Amino acid sequence: MQVSHFLRRAVRPMKILFAITLLGTAVLFVSEHSNAQQSASVSISVKDHRFQPSQLSAPANRPISIRVKNLDSAPMEFESTSLRVEKVIAPGSEGVVNVRALAPGRYEFFDDFHQQTRGTLVVQ
Amino acid sequence: MRRYFQNVCIIFTATTAVLLPGTIAVQAAENDELHEIETKYIFGTFTVGSSTGIEGEKAFEPETEANFGKGGGGRYGVSQTVLEYEYTPTQYLQIEFGPSVSYYNIHNVPGLDDRNMAAINGFEAEFRSVLIDRNPSPIAVTLSLEPEFHSRDETSGAKVVNYGLEAKLEADAELIKNRLFWGFNLLYEPETTRADLGQWENETTFGISSALAYQIVPNVVIGADLWYLRHYDGAAFNSFTGDAVYLGPTFYWKIAPKVLMSAAWETQITGHEPGVSARLDFTDFSRQRARLLLEFEF
Repeated sequence: MQVSHFLRRAVRPMKILFAITLLGTAVLFVSEHSNAQQSASVSISVKDHRFQPSQLSAPANRPISIRVKNLDSAPMEFESTSLRVEKVIAPGSEGVVNVRALAPGRYEFFDDFHQQTRGTLVVQ
Repeated sequence: MRRYFQNVCIIFTATTAVLLPGTIAVQAAENDELHEIETKYIFGTFTVGSSTGIEGEKAFEPETEANFGKGGGGRYGVSQTVLEYEYTPTQYLQIEFGPSVSYYNIHNVPGLDDRNMAAINGFEAEFRSVLIDRNPSPIAVTLSLEPEFHSRDETSGAKVVNYGLEAKLEADAELIKNRLFWGFNLLYEPETTRADLGQWENETTFGISSALAYQIVPNVVIGADLWYLRHYDGAAFNSFTGDAVYLGPTFYWKIAPKVLMSAAWETQITGHEPGVSARLDFTDFSRQRARLLLEFEF
């Protein structure tokens, strides 16, 4: 009797915590996917550990698809703190980085394996 | 009690008065040496910044919180280390979870049993979601929900069954681009605990913080953190049991592209417990508290 009472009392808070967690996660995913719209595409290359071009332009308030070509003989990792993306790209290959819709502004990106390799995405 | 509350209000008002105009007015020249920085850990981890990491990022994060000193003499040192796995599945959401391990070194502290032991102490998870992005808003805000289970009382080390939910609003602003940051947290943490007597007891902690962080050289940030905490019996602020103000320095160092550390050490500078004349609250809070976090991204 006592054990079942204990279990009932113990399980109830767990259920509440689980429900809150589940609800929060659901809200997040719904809010993310409600922004689904056609993305704008931009391309950039990396050669001799330099982005070419070093500055990209993209429209505001639309998801952005960045195609990154690595023309170097070493792997690179396209990364951005403010864009909240990263992707490792093997030598001689390319990858696509999908970015959420952004407000107008300047967003830095860099090669995490070669930190001096830096560029800017200008959203307007 | 009113006097303490007024003091705390004055401290927060003064901090805000100094910092908020800066948010609007300061447009300092960019420093070419400094680049964008994730703000989550730059305030020393008692106050947490709004960054939620990079999509696809995975990391191992051992985080230790230690509490030292209780009133009335004796030796009091308690630490809890959470061995967290951190994952960022989307650009809006970050998840962390892992077991916690505690160490208790308590000797001759009034009201507490002597204890010198280590124990696996429970499990914690954390879900963080961006509510407001920094651009175009000058202030970024993230909601953090942290469900917790513990099998030992965090203060005494006694065997208990404890469930808690730490809910936090984590906000920050960039006062000088890539250089000076202001952090602000709002905490609400209800807990329910079953101790020896078999009764479930509820308690609540409410907190508000203000922190400054200054990047002195690339990847090294120093700062100061101020917390005001209030503790209540009951799940909805039923009965006030005490409050405390903590103040102390913070340190952040991104050691390598995939490795960082964050640390904070804070002292209770004022506090109040109803019916007690002491100017600090040692029943609900410790004299000193510290945190150390390491992050290894993989």
